[in-house]
Amino acid sequence: MEADQEPPGAVGAVNIKKAPPPETSESIWTRRLVILSFWTVVLLFGLPVWYKTTTVYRAALPLQAMNDWADGKICRPVFPLRIAIDAPSLPHQDAQHLLRTTQHALDDLNEFSAHHLRLLLSEPSTPSNASQKMTMDLDSSNSVSKGHLHDEDIALTVRMLPGSYTPTLDVYYTPNQIPSSSSTSSPLATFVAYELQRVFAEEQAQLAHLLSSSATSQTGQVKSLSKDDAVRLARQTTRSFKYAPTYHLTFSLFTPVAVPSAWEIRSALEEYISPLLESLSPISNFTVDTQVQLYAKFSHSFHEPEYDTSLKAWTLQKEELSAFVNAAEWPLSPSIGVGPTINFVLYVPAENQSPLVVKETGGSSWLIPQWGGVQILNSGTLKSTLSREDLQPAMLTFSHQLMSLLGVPHAPVSLPMRLSTLTRVRAASLLFSASSTLGSLARLTQALQSIAIPDTVAQAVDTTIEHLYRACNELREGRFATALESARIAEAEAEKAFFERSMVGQVYFPDEHKVAVYLPLLGPIAVPLVMTAIKELKSTYKRWRAA
Amino acid sequence: MLLHVRFLLSFLCLFFSQVILASSSDYHERLLLRPLPQNALLASFNFRSNESLSSFEQQNFRYLPRSVGQILQHAHTKELHLRFSFGRWDAESWGARPWNGAREGGTGVELWAWVEAETDGEANARWLTLTNALSGLFCASLNFIDSTKTIRPVEIFQPEGNHQDANLHLLHGALPHEVVCTENLTPFLKLLPCKGKAGISSLLDGHKLFDASWQTMSIDVRPVCPTDGGECIIEIEQTVDMVLDIDRSKRPRDNPIPRPVKIEDITCDTSKPYSSQDSCYPLDHVLEPSWSVAEIFGRPLKGACPLTAAEGDESETVCLNVPPERDVEVRTQGYHAQRMREGGFLRCYELPTGEDFDLFLAEQSLETTIPLPQSPLYATRSIVGHGQERGGVQAVITNPSDAAVDLAYLESLPWFMKPYLHTLKATITPTSDNSSYTHPIKETYYRPAVDRRRGTHLELLLTIPPASTLTLSYDFDKAILRYTEYPPDANRGFDVAPAVIRLLSSSGEESPKGVYVRTTSLLLPLPTPDFSMPYNVIILTSTVMALGFGSIFNILVRRFVGADEVEKRGLAGLKGVLQGKIGRWRARFGGKGAKEL
Repeated sequence: MEADQEPPGAVGAVNIKKAPPPETSESIWTRRLVILSFWTVVLLFGLPVWYKTTTVYRAALPLQAMNDWADGKICRPVFPLRIAIDAPSLPHQDAQHLLRTTQHALDDLNEFSAHHLRLLLSEPSTPSNASQKMTMDLDSSNSVSKGHLHDEDIALTVRMLPGSYTPTLDVYYTPNQIPSSSSTSSPLATFVAYELQRVFAEEQAQLAHLLSSSATSQTGQVKSLSKDDAVRLARQTTRSFKYAPTYHLTFSLFTPVAVPSAWEIRSALEEYISPLLESLSPISNFTVDTQVQLYAKFSHSFHEPEYDTSLKAWTLQKEELSAFVNAAEWPLSPSIGVGPTINFVLYVPAENQSPLVVKETGGSSWLIPQWGGVQILNSGTLKSTLSREDLQPAMLTFSHQLMSLLGVPHAPVSLPMRLSTLTRVRAASLLFSASSTLGSLARLTQALQSIAIPDTVAQAVDTTIEHLYRACNELREGRFATALESARIAEAEAEKAFFERSMVGQVYFPDEHKVAVYLPLLGPIAVPLVMTAIKELKSTYKRWRAA
Repeated sequence: MLLHVRFLLSFLCLFFSQVILASSSDYHERLLLRPLPQNALLASFNFRSNESLSSFEQQNFRYLPRSVGQILQHAHTKELHLRFSFGRWDAESWGARPWNGAREGGTGVELWAWVEAETDGEANARWLTLTNALSGLFCASLNFIDSTKTIRPVEIFQPEGNHQDANLHLLHGALPHEVVCTENLTPFLKLLPCKGKAGISSLLDGHKLFDASWQTMSIDVRPVCPTDGGECIIEIEQTVDMVLDIDRSKRPRDNPIPRPVKIEDITCDTSKPYSSQDSCYPLDHVLEPSWSVAEIFGRPLKGACPLTAAEGDESETVCLNVPPERDVEVRTQGYHAQRMREGGFLRCYELPTGEDFDLFLAEQSLETTIPLPQSPLYATRSIVGHGQERGGVQAVITNPSDAAVDLAYLESLPWFMKPYLHTLKATITPTSDNSSYTHPIKETYYRPAVDRRRGTHLELLLTIPPASTLTLSYDFDKAILRYTEYPPDANRGFDVAPAVIRLLSSSGEESPKGVYVRTTSLLLPLPTPDFSMPYNVIILTSTVMALGFGSIFNILVRRFVGADEVEKRGLAGLKGVLQGKIGRWRARFGGKGAKEL
């Protein structure tokens, strides 16, 4: 049938069938070598080069370490506070014994092992680098009573001590209260331990709350908090700002009409705010700016105040307070420069809406979490200039609000102690936040395999981990100020690594796209390579079967 | 009468500068309304506030907006000038520009500032900070003023304020492509103490402002030190100048489509031979149109801003520049005062506080017209030439006065427009015999462009003889941009910033602000590529490479035999395989069919 279809000229060719000369083994080997060398070049050189030049750069990250930090496996923050007992009137032996019993009592009271109060006897040899040092003056009551004998008329002795402030707890006792060397407990020791515990209770609660709310699994250490405490602390943490080395304070005078158009803010700030900022300066720096804004109207969605005849005042609904500040129109943009801005708004209502109070509480000031504070100034008749005296209540409210916004604890009474508590709480919170940022970054890079990771990210991660280690060690050794500094650097670097801009650019360039673009090259090259390889393998197999 | 008019002319020229010099209270505002020919109305708003230098440094802001103050301090900027403009001032019919052009910018956004810095690098960094911060404040793309759009002018701008510091760097940038709109007006109004809620700023409305034929908004911050050695102040001056079309502005907002005038209302030219019942040649308006402030701006003035001075010249915040015979009706419930100035050509009003205020001018035929001051210069600039490769620029500057003028001329060209300086020609028409006018270019300052790093900066000092026209022309090459450097609307063309001209007065009478004229911006068409090009290139190159690879590989791998030596299977190839398959299928099908049969 085939022969019929073929042209007449071909008939001869078919009839005189001529086989090609047998291939020499030399040419077979040449061909095999050619195919092999092409395959070698393609596999060893071509594909790697193509892959290398078209993949995004991913710097190596210490993923394991990052996850470990996030899970809290590496650092268990502890807060050993050293408390020096200064008892010059006691013999050394007795003092040592008192210290031991007090420490025992203290350890019994303390159920939060991460926060540890360690007592040491104040001696000239006491290391001066002990960062937290609370001197207990154990004066024997003899001297006190002696003093009383001499100056019976003196109602109160005020001790004026020069130099920097050191937190001191004075304990007065009668000689018979000194524990005998044989007893294991004494009322005095218990009293001192109880007092110390009370002083640091708020700090312990804050740290415990921090530990329990962070993602770390350190259940063993965490002291259980009562429900009320937990709610209170959670509220306190949500309202306070994240720690920053610099805060910008903006004091603004708003009024819906054109008066008052000026205020004696410069002297008011000097009088009421500057001293507070000065005492806060070891923790953060502050810049202060002020402004006057007239014709500040409420936003349209805000319910206008209503007149309450029983209160004889204009009232605002409590749930409406969040909309009180008209963010769209009032110029309260953040200040330029690094650091968050804390806004303090002094609102002077128009004369026909004065006095203006909150309906439920009758108050006139409130705090907006992580933003600032608002105070309504009901001053009766409107003057064109507010004097320093007019501003006094508002400034006192603002200073109180500032403390809350910065997260300064409410107890103990002494401000320097509250600030040193703040240092420890801040250091711990920054440590946790930097660790969890590292964990998020690790998860992100694992989840998105196609995003680029520049070297700067790897460097930032390394710096973060280094400073986290440093902060953790410094906490353990009780150097809280330097721990805060290290934790701050760690936090800043972690944020920098996480928000690296060049990481997101390549997300929308998937691998399929890459292959599609290069298919005109890869396809025509791959087909002959694969086909010849198959053919050659087949013929080799045939020849091997034949042999 | 002639004497009167001449007096008035000089007054009108000085009106704007006088406003600046008289200053006592810390906040001042004034609105000037002046009807222009062709049913146009010039509305010129001026707001000025002062802040003492010490409270500025302590960041206690009262009249100076906190946002601007902080930006200036952060960027170490001592003097700032920012302009948002669009439209063209028709100098031939509208006369001299308001403020002599000193409060005007080129189309788009223009910014120049004196920045305090030790080195050029530091100045550039602070300039970058400044542009970025202002960009956020005014919702404008000012952050696109990068090194390619920044120049350091030499002659054209002089500081308006009093500066003690020597380390000041003047930087200038322009964005001719920027569209000025409502989002720029809102932050502008927020900077005012009365916020558009009272005073003349209550008239400013985006719908009307950006519907104007010509509009410019400016912000100028400068330090002013009194000559008697008192405390220096920081002065912020904001102006809005616009030319509104009265007919267009009077259209109601809910029904803005223009309707043809009813036939009964048209006055016909009966002197035409074809004038009859059904054919009419309409006459031009012979009457002054009727308008009121509320109609033109869409709302009445909401009383005085209480921060302005209560009495004296400063309290007169609205001035109307109409002939004395024009009837003006004041519509307000509150107390107001009116004073006639300059022979009745200027009426100034003291506004009531807390009450609406409106001015109504009825239709009226007038004997006298207000004499408009003549523009000191007319300038136009255009692109000439054809093709995608090169082109030319021609600037025509006319001096209509009867005295020679010296002027500085500034061009800031983008880097992709590469001028040839040797083709720069300046010709004077009509040609003059006076030898001192044969070379109008006195000095040239030229800083050539560097690709993708900086633009061309060309500054010329020119002299134009009386009643003559100077034509400047030069050729340029169009660069080909990279694929990613084209904007999304690449085929629209690229905007080139307007040329800035400053009059250098030969006589002593010069205000510190100077006299400026700006040309319109240019639209430069560049060759645009096919934007699918990169993919085409990859695919084409790949195909060529694959083709080459295939041939070489086949030559190396295939065995060559004579045509008659080819194995049968090899010759039949795919055809044989297919035929075999078809045959087998057919046999099976046919067999089945036979069985069934």
